[in-house]
Formats: sequence, structure tokens, C-alpha cells
Amino acid sequence: MADPVMTLEMVEASQMGMKAVGAGLAVGLTGVGTGVAELGIGAAAVGATAENKDMFGLALLFTVIPETIVIFGLVVALLLLF
Amino acid sequence: MFQPKRMSRILIAGSKDQMDTIVRELYHQHAFHIEDFVEKEDEAYEGFKIGMPLDQASDASSELIKIRSLENTFEISPGSVDATRTQASTELKAGVDRTLAALVEDVEDLTAQRSKVEAQAKAFEARVNALEPFAPVSLDMDLYHGYESVTVFAGYVESDVEIPVPHEKQYVPGGKGRQNFIIVFVPASEAEAADRALLEAHFQSVPIPDGSGPVSDLIYDAKGKISQLNEQLERIERTLEEKKNEYGEVLVAYDEYFTAIVEQAEAPLRFATTDDAFVAEGWVPSEKVEGIIASLTHVTGGKVYVTELEVGDDAKDVPVEYDNPRFSHPTELLMDIYARPRYDEFDPTLLVSIVFPIFFGLILGDVGYGLVLLAMSLGLRKFIKGEAGRQLLDTLRNSSIVSCIFGVLFSECFGFALPWQSIIYSRHLNIGGEAIHHPMVVELLIVSVWIGILHITLGRLLHVWNIRHAMYQDSHATKKVLEQFGWLSTMWGIIIAVWSIFPIPLMLDLTGFPPVAMGLNAAGIVGVVLILLGIVLIGQESPLELMEIPTIISHVLSYTRLVAVGLSSVAIAMVTNYIALDLIIGPQLESLTIVGVVIVLMGIVVLLLGHLLNVALGLIGGGLHSIRLHYVEFFTKFYNGGGKKYMPFGMRRKFTEE
Repeated sequence: MADPVMTLEMVEASQMGMKAVGAGLAVGLTGVGTGVAELGIGAAAVGATAENKDMFGLALLFTVIPETIVIFGLVVALLLLF
Repeated sequence: MFQPKRMSRILIAGSKDQMDTIVRELYHQHAFHIEDFVEKEDEAYEGFKIGMPLDQASDASSELIKIRSLENTFEISPGSVDATRTQASTELKAGVDRTLAALVEDVEDLTAQRSKVEAQAKAFEARVNALEPFAPVSLDMDLYHGYESVTVFAGYVESDVEIPVPHEKQYVPGGKGRQNFIIVFVPASEAEAADRALLEAHFQSVPIPDGSGPVSDLIYDAKGKISQLNEQLERIERTLEEKKNEYGEVLVAYDEYFTAIVEQAEAPLRFATTDDAFVAEGWVPSEKVEGIIASLTHVTGGKVYVTELEVGDDAKDVPVEYDNPRFSHPTELLMDIYARPRYDEFDPTLLVSIVFPIFFGLILGDVGYGLVLLAMSLGLRKFIKGEAGRQLLDTLRNSSIVSCIFGVLFSECFGFALPWQSIIYSRHLNIGGEAIHHPMVVELLIVSVWIGILHITLGRLLHVWNIRHAMYQDSHATKKVLEQFGWLSTMWGIIIAVWSIFPIPLMLDLTGFPPVAMGLNAAGIVGVVLILLGIVLIGQESPLELMEIPTIISHVLSYTRLVAVGLSSVAIAMVTNYIALDLIIGPQLESLTIVGVVIVLMGIVVLLLGHLLNVALGLIGGGLHSIRLHYVEFFTKFYNGGGKKYMPFGMRRKFTEE
């Protein structure tokens, strides 16, 4: 028979581990999502800036819009961990 | 402040013989933004044509071309030279024929010599290249030509060739980077057969260089000539360098002098003229109108007509000049990157110049990194010239100072704790299991959401201000104001509804009310009513806008990046310290062995690289995310932009004085 205290500790530890896995997934997957979204925007933005330097501000703006996704991931991860 | 500088539209009319004087005076005043005259089918402008440039234009332009080509040779430009003194225009004018002409001649002479010497050196290099394959063959060069009955083949082949006719052959097998080289002497009558045999081995013929004597001597001679020429070239370069140091500043002064002349001479191209008169329209800052009118009347002895025109109601016509306290001058760069404000709208530069450094500091929040960036912003001043660079460095300076302040509050220095507990919410993570207290992430996130709510509310209110102050008041103005209140009502409705369901620290707790209906309590009902009211108000202006409602939540939550990005930089710093200190201190320092020393060194490398990376990330993260919060979350609430830059006729003189 397993010691009940021991089991509780094990459960807690494994819960902590699952939380960490969840946090990792939250940041990792949203990071991939942001990357995929920025892929096209970034390429087009660089092209537009090369054509017309004045576009830089707007191009930068468009490029960082999907950044929000990964920030949400990061926030979720932080909320999971703390 | 909070609005671009007030502008007045003025019209200047005069007879053509006063044009020169007036142009010179306007140039001197450096305040008149010329509105280019476009020939059009307008009755008011019937008979007007675009003016012709003044007489001195063509001479000055050709001088300018010469000067610019010299500047090119010297690799300088007015922007890259620091002025040590200013030179009087009269002095420069007197020196045009002497100093400038002599300089132009000298430098042209030197550059001509340089290209000649370079060409000669190239020719000798080509000769060396042609001679080199023959070097391993111990035949004098004059043995290769001058035959009547013998044909000489020289060139590269893939492998040694059997020549089916009487012949004499020299085969040099190739080596590293060299192909197999072959020289074949055959009787002229048998040349055809030899040629065929060679061609089968993919023979590539090379020309036989002329000259006599041993090949190695010829190569030696050519190389000697090349080094002589190179010395000559170096001498010329040195002379050019001396000239550049001696005359560089004079040259850019002349550049400025002639640019001023050309700009003045070409001003009539932007005026409306008839045979005897001209009309110029443009903008001046309102505070300067009186002065301009007075000075124009003075210089022409009253022979000019200047009047102030109606401004009209299209804000896009009016050139925009910032009107900010000196403190927020650097931030104008960040505004210009997005778009210059329109004449009739709220100019948020001052707000951005205060809030941007705070956001930056909140994200970075580390005394160590703050000081590194501060040092960078001061140190780079020597290398980055020009207005925009300065503005960027000034912004960085302000931001890093605020970072240091937040570093003190967060008690952070390169990821280590300072000797006191953090004064506001702690960001110390539990890395390495040493920290006793937890970081107060939830509190920090809620503070950042509060910042977002307030920032966005401010943005919406500014939109209302913009609608009320627009130069062109359309009939939709009231509807648009109501729409903005609709957005506010929806946002606050959502917030109140959330408060009524979840108790959140640092925010109002409205869960205490008795439930009324559908699981909502009284506060919840208020929230829902506000949301519905907001949706109606947004929909009455444009139903399409309703699509944007989810952005209310995403934009507010987007402000959590202030904490999230900051925490990730804290994490990188702490992990770096943890790994590096483990390597450096560990058991190594107790009994130092060779391996221990290597590990300590590795630890130092990890420490340096980690913090270097984190400084770069902090700069990008802190800067980009703060400016993005402004551009995407804040500006989209009220800011139009698209103002025309105010470019007064004239120049800020750097090297010359009138």
C-alpha cells in the first residue's frame, strides 16, 4: 500500500509539472502562431519599405500586430505558473 | 502645445523688378512655406504662368555640380562635417574664382592622375598574369616568336597530349588552382594536324606575351613597375587626404552658399507670374505674419502688396509645424514615423513623450540595463550625426533614465536584487529556488490592464475633442461623438459586468450585490445595459464598426505586454546569472585546477553573452512594444495624421553667414 501523504505529494508535483507543460505549450504554440502570421506581413512590409522609405512606420506597425497573440500566450503562461 | 503651430495663409504680390529683393528677404526670414503654383483653368488665375528662374541660377547650379563632385571625391557631405566656424558670404563670394577654382583644378588634376596610374597598374597586372604560366618553362621569351616555318601553340589542356607530328613540347602539370599548361612547337606545315590533336584535349589557347629575356626577369620587372605605381598612387591619395582635411570645411561652406543661391534663384518656379508682376502664396506661423509683412514692406520701400487670406476648411492644405516644449522635441521623430498630425487635430507628442519612457521603463525596469543604455545613448552621440539620430538618442536617454528609476522601484540590477525589497510589486522570479517571496505577477498584470483601460479611455475622449475641433464640421459630427461614447460605454460595460461576476484584486469588487436575473446581480445588469447602449450608439454611426467590438477586449489585454515582456527579460537575466554563477563560483574556486579555470572562464563568457543578448532584447522589446502600444492601441482610437510638413523657404545656415 502506498503511503497516502506520499501520494498527495506526488499528485501535487505532477500537477505542477502539468502546469509547466501547459505554460510551455501556451507560449510555444502562440509563438508559432505569431510567427506564421508575421511571415507574410513581414515579407510584404520589407518590400514596401524598400520601395518607399516613408512606409517604415506603417510597415512596422503592421508587422507587430500579430505580436499580441504571443503576448496572450505569455500572459496565460504567467497566470498558470504563479 | 497639444496642437500644431497656428498658421496663416498669406499672399504676396509685387512687380517683377521687386521679385529678387522679396525672394532674398523671404529666404532670410526662413518662415514662408511656399504653396507651389500650378497652372490651371481657373478664372482667378487667368493669364498667370509659372515664373522663370532668376539669372544667377544656371551659373550657381554648375558651380554646385562641381562642388558636389569634389565632395564625392572627398567622401564628405554637409551633414557629415561639423562646423568649427562660420564664413561670411562676402568672403566666400570673393574666393569663388581664386580658392574654389584652384581647388577644383587641383583635385581634378589629382583624380585624373589617379585614374591614369590605376589604369597603368592594371595593365602591368594583366601582363604578370599573362606571363605567369610561362614561368615554369625554362625558355627565354624571345624564343616564342619570330618564326616563319614554326608554329607555336600555348594554352591550357585537360591532360597531356600525344602530338602525331614532329614537334617539341613543354608540358607543365597543373596543381592547386592551376590548370595543365602546354606549349607545342611544330613545323608550320604540320600545324593543322597538331591543332586537331590539341583540340581533342579541349585545348584553350592563350596569347603569347611579347618581350625578350628570361620569363622570370620579365615578371620581376612588371612587378617592380606595379609597386612603383602603387607608391605613386599612395602619394596621390595622401595629397587628396591632405586637401580634404584642409579644404573640406570650405567646400561644404561653398556647397551651402551656392545651394542658398540656387534655391533663391529657383523660387520663381513656384510663383504665379505675368509679364510684369508676380504672385506668391504660402503659409507662415501666425505669430510671424506681422513681422514678415513689415520687413517685406521695408525692403521694397512699400512697393509690395501682402495680405492675409482665409484659411479655408480643408486641414490637409495647411502645413504642420510642431509646437511642443523642448522636452518633447525628440518624440516628434516617433510621431513622424507614424504620420505627422493634421493641422486641426490633437497633437499627442507631449503625451507620447511622457508615456513612452514610462512604458519603456516599466518593461525594462532594471538599473543595470538602464545604465548600459544610458551610456550607449550618450556614447553613440559621437558617431550618429543628423537630426533624426539625435532625436532617437534623446528618446533612448529619457527612456533609460526612467528604466533606472523603475529598476530602483523593482529592486533589480542585471537580474540581481538590490539591497532592498522591491518598493512596488516584485518581479523577482523563483529561479534556482533561492527567492523566498513570489513575484506578484497577478497584481502587476492587473496594474497593466488598468493602464490599458485608462489609456484607451483617454484615446476615445481625444477623438471627441478632434471631432469638435475639426475645421470641416460635417452633419455627422454629433453622431460621431455619440459613437465614441458608445465605444466607451461598451468597454466600461464589459468591465463592470466582469467585476460583478469575478472578484479581482486591485479592482472594484461588485460581486456582493444580490442576484437579480439570469445569474447577474444589480451591477451586472448595469454593465449589460451599458454594453447594449454602447452597441446601439456604435451601430447608429456605422453598423460595420460593430465587427470591431472584440478589439475592445484584445486591445485592453494587449497592455499586459508591459508586464509579460518585462518578466521575460527578468527571467533571461536571472537564468543567465544562475548558470553563470554556478559555473564561476561552484566548487571551482575552492580548489582551483586547470579544468576549474576553464569552467570559470566559460561562466564569465555565459554571463557576458547572456546580458549582452538581454540588453539587445530589452532595447528591442522595450522600444518596439511601447511604441506599438501607442501606434496600434492608442492612436487608432483618435489619431488621423497625414499632415503636410511645414518646410519654410530658406535654410538653417551651418557653415555660412549672410
